Amino acid sequence: MKDIYELLNDAKIDDQDIEEMPVTELEKAKVKNTLKQSISKKKKRTGWKTNVIAAAAVIGLTVTTIGLTFPAYAGNIPIIGDIFRFLDNDKTGMYDNYKEFSTEMNLTQESNGIKITVNDAVFDGETVAITYSIDSDRDLGEELTIFDTIDIKGANGMTGSSQISKIDDTHYVGLDRMTPTGLTSENIDVKWKIKNLHLLETEQEIKGNWKFAFSLQATDSQVQLTNQSVEKNGVTVNIEKIAFTPMSFIVHYNQAATQQVQDKWHEAYVELKATDDLGNVYSGDGNGGSGTDFYTMSWSATFGKLDPNATKLIITPHVPFRIHDASNSGGVEITADGEERELPIPTKTGVGKEEFVMEDIVIELEK
Amino acid sequence: MKSNERNFVKRLQKQKEDALEFVVDTYLPIIKGITHKVLIPLHDQGIIDECINDIFLSIWNNSKKFKGDATDFRKWICTVAKFKAIDHYRKARKEVEFSSVYMDMNADLSAEDEVILLEDQSELVKLINQLEPVERDIFIMKYFLGLKTEEIAKKLGLTNASIDNRVYRGKKKLNKKAASLELGENRV
Repeated sequence: MKDIYELLNDAKIDDQDIEEMPVTELEKAKVKNTLKQSISKKKKRTGWKTNVIAAAAVIGLTVTTIGLTFPAYAGNIPIIGDIFRFLDNDKTGMYDNYKEFSTEMNLTQESNGIKITVNDAVFDGETVAITYSIDSDRDLGEELTIFDTIDIKGANGMTGSSQISKIDDTHYVGLDRMTPTGLTSENIDVKWKIKNLHLLETEQEIKGNWKFAFSLQATDSQVQLTNQSVEKNGVTVNIEKIAFTPMSFIVHYNQAATQQVQDKWHEAYVELKATDDLGNVYSGDGNGGSGTDFYTMSWSATFGKLDPNATKLIITPHVPFRIHDASNSGGVEITADGEERELPIPTKTGVGKEEFVMEDIVIELEK
Repeated sequence: MKSNERNFVKRLQKQKEDALEFVVDTYLPIIKGITHKVLIPLHDQGIIDECINDIFLSIWNNSKKFKGDATDFRKWICTVAKFKAIDHYRKARKEVEFSSVYMDMNADLSAEDEVILLEDQSELVKLINQLEPVERDIFIMKYFLGLKTEEIAKKLGLTNASIDNRVYRGKKKLNKKAASLELGENRV
């Protein structure tokens, strides 16, 4: 006798005239999340077969934890398989290859009824990217930020960015990118501590203590020294070197401006757009930079994976000049004895904002 | 190992969760299309979401009953989706003409309910199984998948009159068998 699913096998409908509907990453994640819950519920209720699967899962998790030699962490099945892509929402494609080259961590810490899991981490030689998920026993509202401290052994400074996205009332996922400076080793020891969660809508703070420690090894990377520069309107941009990793490429560049520019504008900031000779457009994220003033800076920016067939990389610097006023800028100086003094905004001759595009810098890629 | 276009059917049948994720990623747009088309008159997003989850869960639980390659799989998952969507529609409109596959949704049901629902389900399927293969397919298409007589005729290469005729005869046959079935009896 055939059951209904076998009968449906024999009486299949045509799938030609069925219209597909657009689906967002969030919708996919929600369906997967519900399914995983139903499946694990079923596992508890039914017979030996699912027990075997559960046992296999436990063994798998044990191997991961032993491998990391941090047996204090409980394993947790991630809600979303690829958080990198999920947060990018298929828009830029910058993170398409990150999951593949990152290390699956699945380290969970619970505090104050909230579980935080570090899902994946990757170090490309320049920037550490960590994905994490938050599993809470209560609704944390639409917007959330974390207050964290990150300590990377041997680094003398750090820049970073962070984003968190809500999945459902009690689940959130996030991505933190940190670019340490002054590192010499290819192995890094990361200590990540989260002290509290800040709910932006209710201005509420949830205190807790989530601590993670892990080591990462830099992905393979090939560095090409370029030292090519362009100059326009008193601004010079120099592409110093490019590091190619399996999932990204990182452009290191610096900028300088003439005295005339410095007299007229408060800020000259260089952004890079990258394409190649095959017409691929790469999306990138600035990693921050450092320098002596608003005009002379060293930056780095990370872009998505380079097309292996490309022979030339074309980098176009975009330069916005800006004037600071009370609405967009302000600073305080803290003197040695702890007194705060508001910094005056110096007067300049420029007005508002001006932007221009520099000539393309064409880099022949070494193979 | 990851699931891809070539291996996901096997991995799904081995109950690998990554295969289920692959199926959701690949087929959610078409599943969403099917369920929306059937269920949109109800104006209830909750039922649509529930139905979509139900479809994928049934695919997961019954993956071993599928036979064929990735192209067949797309047709099968569409067929299951249509069947489930119609089933949810009928339930919602309180016009339950056929018992449905409750097996996957029984988390909150008592043991007695489960047994009764399973009986209903298996009895109906048993009855349908007693029909000739062609009649059986016609019944499935007409009552479970809501296809029109013309569509069935085209698919099977028969005339409309012949389909109607077979439906009539099949109904009569089933009626006789169902009537002679005693309470709790499972006659094959």
